Amino acid sequence: MRETFTKGMARNIYYGGSVFFFLVFIGLTVDTVQTLPKTDNRENLTEEVVAGKRLWEHNNCIGCHTLLGEGAYFAPELGNVYTRFGESTEAIKGFIKSRPVDGIPGRRSMPQFNFTDQELEEIAQFLKYADGIKVARDWPPNIQG
Amino acid sequence: MKSVKTDELQIKRASDAALASLLNLTILPVISFIALLLIHRKTQADTIDHYHAVLGVKINVIAAVVLFLVSALMILLGGFDSPWTWVYVISYFTIVHTIFIVFALWALVRAWSGDRLWS
Amino acid sequence: MKYESQSIAKLYFIAAIGLFVGQILFGVILGLQYVIGDFLFPEIPFNVARMVHTNLLIVWLLFGFMGAAYFLVPEESERELYAPWLAKLMFWIFLVAGALTILGYLLVPYATLAEITMNDLLPTMGREFLEQPTITKIGIVVVLLAFIFNIGMTILTGRKTVITLVLLTGLVGLAVFFLFSFYNPHNLVLDKYFWWFVVHLWVEGVWELIMASLLAYVLIKVTGVDREVIEKWLYIIIAMALISGIIGTGHHFFWIGAPDYWQWLGSVFSALEPIPFFMMTLFAFNVVNKRRRDHPNKAATLWALGTAVMAFLGAGVWGFLHTLAPVNFYTHGTQITAAHGHMAFYGAYVMVVLTIISYSMPIMRGREAANARAQVVEMWSFWLMTVSMVFITLFLTGAGILQVYLQRYSEDPMSFMATQEKVEIFYWMREGAGLIFLIGLILYIISFFVKGEDVKMLGSSVSIEETS
Ligand code: HEM
Ligand code: HEM
Ligand SMILES: [Fe+2]
Repeated sequence: MRETFTKGMARNIYYGGSVFFFLVFIGLTVDTVQTLPKTDNRENLTEEVVAGKRLWEHNNCIGCHTLLGEGAYFAPELGNVYTRFGESTEAIKGFIKSRPVDGIPGRRSMPQFNFTDQELEEIAQFLKYADGIKVARDWPPNIQG
Repeated sequence: MKSVKTDELQIKRASDAALASLLNLTILPVISFIALLLIHRKTQADTIDHYHAVLGVKINVIAAVVLFLVSALMILLGGFDSPWTWVYVISYFTIVHTIFIVFALWALVRAWSGDRLWS
Repeated sequence: MKYESQSIAKLYFIAAIGLFVGQILFGVILGLQYVIGDFLFPEIPFNVARMVHTNLLIVWLLFGFMGAAYFLVPEESERELYAPWLAKLMFWIFLVAGALTILGYLLVPYATLAEITMNDLLPTMGREFLEQPTITKIGIVVVLLAFIFNIGMTILTGRKTVITLVLLTGLVGLAVFFLFSFYNPHNLVLDKYFWWFVVHLWVEGVWELIMASLLAYVLIKVTGVDREVIEKWLYIIIAMALISGIIGTGHHFFWIGAPDYWQWLGSVFSALEPIPFFMMTLFAFNVVNKRRRDHPNKAATLWALGTAVMAFLGAGVWGFLHTLAPVNFYTHGTQITAAHGHMAFYGAYVMVVLTIISYSMPIMRGREAANARAQVVEMWSFWLMTVSMVFITLFLTGAGILQVYLQRYSEDPMSFMATQEKVEIFYWMREGAGLIFLIGLILYIISFFVKGEDVKMLGSSVSIEETS
């Protein structure tokens, strides 16, 4: 680097630049949080859904699936599973309930979680709520996720 | 040995040439290549700036051929609508392009110190 | 070694390497589960193995960063560590907590682990990378605070250098952003939004400060280039890292329900994120080219150059590949993401930790550099691991492109599971490359035990070829 560009200048760019963009980021975050009610489907955030989210977490579903494209890539996207399963929570519950305990020979299989009927309903409601979030360009590109 | 002054000028020009070569490979294609050719015209044989200008032209011409020609061939032979074509083209283009960039980076730091590629 | 307390780093590095082995073993298991779906099912389901794989990665990198700090800070500050006993105590606490957590993952179902660690009191579990029980997370915070206190007091009461100040800033940032892991709102969009404050602002923010300072330190040592020059580079690299990386977080806000302006902000700023990595390569090449001495530790120099190049490749190039919103629309959450995640983590953080280990371990064992034969073995391990990681990345990229085409782009999209069968060949090849990575890692460990004659620094230049 040229001698006219001093260490002091580099340091000032570092301090100035990072503080400036950090503040901008905080500003954008405040704005985002205020705008979210338009898209985040909070009106459907029922107690059942909250319980479903806890079950989702306590069984580490994200360790195989993606949800809105984030998570693991071993199993299908679930942010639109409600649509994919014909907008039927019953279909979702039926699928989860019917997983064989010992898996499927040679193939990937989802574990049998032995959920109660109440729990199945909560999970299904959580996935329905997630599907209701208004995402830009209606991601994913198609129903297959 | 030449005087210190011309040496400095040559190193500066060699650095500019190496930078133009790197820019042509990254964010400013075409324009940087024209700049590189202009620098090349100012240099004289057997000088370090000439060396780096020629090196830059070579890297970029080879890169253009290796990247575009081979990719075009892949598309022609594989077919535009075959997913496998894109598997090859994208992976190939990305990795080979990066190799050229890293090479041009090394050329740049060698130009900065007034050296040829390997001494 | 100038200060006795530096040797605490050795403990940390040994633990780091041990956990690294565990991480890779579970990586190989995961890779096999990708092609033989019922492998180890239902004893170790995929999600459990994945959790072990990624959490071991994070924990061993943290051990590596801490070890690095304990090694370099006393030397830079020209004084002994503020409280060596605290560093040792924290080591054992962290190791035991980490081991118990991993055992918890493996021995009981995750839901049971959540129950016995009373996750309902303060639910933080079950989110990618942040799967640790809340009590473990609290443990991590305690360890980090004690560590930062120790390092901070050493730095602030000793000689302050740009390297230690940047390192300290990075470490404080690491601890501060980790606090967002305790925020887990019911609202899924908010949850996701702030989850990235840990994940993105770590790897594309404050960790870059840590990485750049460690790299700068090793480069000063092995090249003898003037500190002034190196510090100027360091400032400009981290400036670019934060200027691009903070707003660059937006590349994760495209499809989670956040406002549309993130499409633009995220694309533009994250497109600048390769710049700091690009500059790290330029910086490393430049100082090695201008070196004032030929340090006998050739392996450390190789690791340092490798870090710069591979970080540029994995984070810079493979990150850029899918960071623009119109591209990310198709690639989001596919094997492309996995390809990038692997090469970026390896190239930037794994390699920088191995760089500092390579430089400091011989010194802590009482010599300037490992003997020539040991270095040759170490360099072999460098090439095996690095080249196999390039192939892992290429195979996953191939799988990803095919996946995007068949499942997302095509007029008549295939289902996820059908697509997975179509790309199976890539998963087999990835597993093969993974096994070579494992061999490289074994060789790396062997390199610490290879005997031979010491290599000394003789005045200006002596190469290991001459002594071997
Ligand atoms: C033997 C070599 C390895 C194999 C076979 C392997 C395999 C895997 C697999 C199958 C996954 C899960 C992908 C999914 O969610 O579907 C994964 C995730 C991951 N691995 Fe590895 N791995 C290996 C080495 C490494 C290394 C060396 C690193 C770090 C440098 C690493 C870092 C990660 C990360 C960060 C993730 C999470 C990726 C993401 O969420 O995008 N792995 N690995
Ligand atoms: C050393 C630095 C970096 C590391 C360790 C890293 C690691 C990762 C990992 C592990 C993920 C997957 C997260 C998940 O599981 O959801 C990811 C995602 C991503 N990274 Fe990076 N990254 C780095 C730098 C970069 C840079 C510089 C860029 C851009 C130029 C970038 C662009 C992206 C994008 C766009 C995604 C989202 C992929 C998706 O939509 O699925 N990364 N990164
Ligand atoms: Fe990111």
